[in-house]
Amino acid sequence: MSDTANDAASGTTPKLAFVYSALLLRLWLAVRAIQTGVEKFSGTAKVDGQAVQVDGVANTEGLTTVATSKAYALANYHGVPEALMKKFQEEPLMLKFALPLYDKLLGPALLILGLTILLGVAYRTSLFLLGLLYISLTWGLILINQSDGVAWLGTHMLLIVGALVLAEHNRLAIMKKW
Amino acid sequence: MNPNPSLYSRRGFLSTSLGTAGAGLVLAAPNILRAAETGGSDAIHVALVGFGKQGEVLFNCLKNIPGLRFQAVCDISKNSINKFRSQSRGMANAEGAKFYEDIDDMLSKEQGLDAAVIATPDFWHSPHTVRCLEAGLHVYCEKMMSNTIDGARAMVHAMEKTGKLCQIGHQRRSNPRYLFTYNRLINGEKICGQIVNVNGQWNRSLGASQDIGGAKLAKSIIVPDDVLKRYGFKDMHQYLNWRVYRDLSGGPISDLGAHQIDIFNWFLGTTPKRVYATGGNSYFKNREHFDNVMCLFDYDTPQGEVRAFYQVLTTTSYGLGFYESFMGTEASIRISEIASTSAIYRESGDHVPEWDSLVERGFLVKKPAPPKPESSEGAVAAYESAAPDVYELPGSFAKPAHQPHLENFFAAVRGEATLNCDARHAFESEAPIFWVNPSALSHQPIELTSEHLSV
Repeated sequence: MSDTANDAASGTTPKLAFVYSALLLRLWLAVRAIQTGVEKFSGTAKVDGQAVQVDGVANTEGLTTVATSKAYALANYHGVPEALMKKFQEEPLMLKFALPLYDKLLGPALLILGLTILLGVAYRTSLFLLGLLYISLTWGLILINQSDGVAWLGTHMLLIVGALVLAEHNRLAIMKKW
Repeated sequence: MNPNPSLYSRRGFLSTSLGTAGAGLVLAAPNILRAAETGGSDAIHVALVGFGKQGEVLFNCLKNIPGLRFQAVCDISKNSINKFRSQSRGMANAEGAKFYEDIDDMLSKEQGLDAAVIATPDFWHSPHTVRCLEAGLHVYCEKMMSNTIDGARAMVHAMEKTGKLCQIGHQRRSNPRYLFTYNRLINGEKICGQIVNVNGQWNRSLGASQDIGGAKLAKSIIVPDDVLKRYGFKDMHQYLNWRVYRDLSGGPISDLGAHQIDIFNWFLGTTPKRVYATGGNSYFKNREHFDNVMCLFDYDTPQGEVRAFYQVLTTTSYGLGFYESFMGTEASIRISEIASTSAIYRESGDHVPEWDSLVERGFLVKKPAPPKPESSEGAVAAYESAAPDVYELPGSFAKPAHQPHLENFFAAVRGEATLNCDARHAFESEAPIFWVNPSALSHQPIELTSEHLSV
C-alpha cells in the first residue's frame, strides 16, 4: 500500500467510527429512555380462562383457570414505583409537595426526551436534560441508600457524556440546533 | 334530608317519606317494566349514591357489567361528581347522566330509575337505602349495613315491606373462590372434618391507617361548611375520616371486621351465642373508636362447639394482612380475597382420608411440600406434629373482587338469580358485630339472645 493510500485510510476510518459511535450511543440512550417510559404504563392483566372442571363438569361457582399477561394502558401509569414512593415519603430531605408532580412527569419526560434523542431534535439539549433527569433519580436513590441503583445510573451518565462529546459527529438529525 | 342524622328517627322518617315515595312509584314505573311494555331497550337504569373512594371501586366493576345505564349520580362533593364525569368520559351508557347533591331531590326528579348503588358513609346507609327502596328502586348497599343496629333493622323492614331487592355489599358471598370452598369443600366433601376453631384478622399497616387529608387540603376537595353540616359532618376532617367517629361509623371492627365475621357466620351456618371483646386506643390516642380490637365468639353448631377469634389491628400489616381460617379435625382452610395467601392444609394421621381422589376429580391442587424445618434442639419430639400437606383451590377468577356480587345483584334485578346476601341474611350475619364494641367498652362478655340478634 502506498503512503497516500495509508493516509486516506487513516483519515477516513476514524471519522466513520466516530459517526457510528455517535449513532449507537444515540440509539442506546433513546431506546433506554423510551422503553423505560413505556414500561411506566405497563400492568398485569388477568383473564378468565376455561371453567374449572370438577368430576368432569364445569363448576357452577365461577372458578376459572386464570391467565396472567402483561398489558399496557394509560390507567396503569405509575411514575415512581409504589415501594420506592413509600420510602421517599419517609425521607426528611425529600420535597413532599414535589413528589406527586415528579411521579406524574417522570414517564412523559422519559418518552419525550427519548423521542427527541432518537429523532435528533435539539440533540445536545435533550441529552443534557436526560442527564439532569438521571441526576434527580440518582439523588432519590442516594437518599434511600440504593447504592446499586446509583452505580447503574452512573453508567448512564457516562454514556450521556460520551454522546455529548461525540455530538459533533451526529448525523441524520431533524434539528441540529441546540 | 335531616341535617342531623343523630336525631334521625326511623319511625318518623318512615311516616313522612311513605307518601312521597308512594307518589314516586305511581308516577315513575321502573324502566324495566316500561321496556317490557314497549319491547325496547332492557337496560337497567342505575343511580350511584355516593361517589367517594368506594363508589369508584364499585363503578370500576359496574363498567364491566353489560346492560346498565348510569342515569344519575348523587354526591355532596363537587370533586366526586367531577371524578365521575372524568371516569365516565366516552361511555355511551353514562351520557346525559344527571348530578345531584341531595338524594330526595334526585328521587323526586329522576323518572324510570330501576336500581341504586349506595356507597355513602355508614351512617347514611340506612336512610339512603330506605328512601330508595320506598321510591321503588332495588338497592345494592355497601356494608356495614348501618352504624346502628336499629338502622340495619330499618333496612330489612323496608326491603320486606316494599318487596324490592336489597343486596348488602359483603362481596365475598359471591366470590367464586369462597363459593367453591363453602359449597364443594366444607359442605360437599366435608374436608375439614369437625370444625372446632375459627380465626380471622384484618391487620392494616400504620401507614394505611392514618387520617385522610392533612392540615392543608386541596381547594378542589373542600366541601362548603353549610353543605357539610346539612349532611351530618362537623367539618372536613369528619367528612374525610368518618370511619373514626362513633356517631358516624362502627369503627374498625365494623368497617374491616364485618367482612371476616360475616364469613365466620356464613360458613358455620349460624350466629354466635356469646362475645367477649377487648380493645383500646393504644396508638391513635385521640380517636373515638378503638384502634385495635380482639374478640372471641362462642358458637353452637350442628357439629358441636366452635370458638372463633378475630382481631382487627390498625398498627401493623404483619401476618398476611387479612384472612379467615377454619380449623377442623381433618383439615384447615385459610381463605382470603387474596388468592396467594389462601391455602388448605391436610392433617396427618390415620383418621384423615387420602385426598388423591379429590385432586384427580378436580377439587384441589396439591402444592409442593414446603422444606422441612430444622429440628429444634431441646424440643420434645413426641409433642411435635408432622407438617400438614398443603393444597390450593383448582382455580380463581380474573374479575375485580366486587364484580361478581354486583353481577349477582343485577342478575337478580332481571329475575335471573336470587341475591347472595340480601338485607335479612346480612343482618343476621352483622348483628353480632354490633355487640363487639359494647363488650370491649364494658370489659364484659355479652350473651347474645334473640333480642340482640333478631330483626
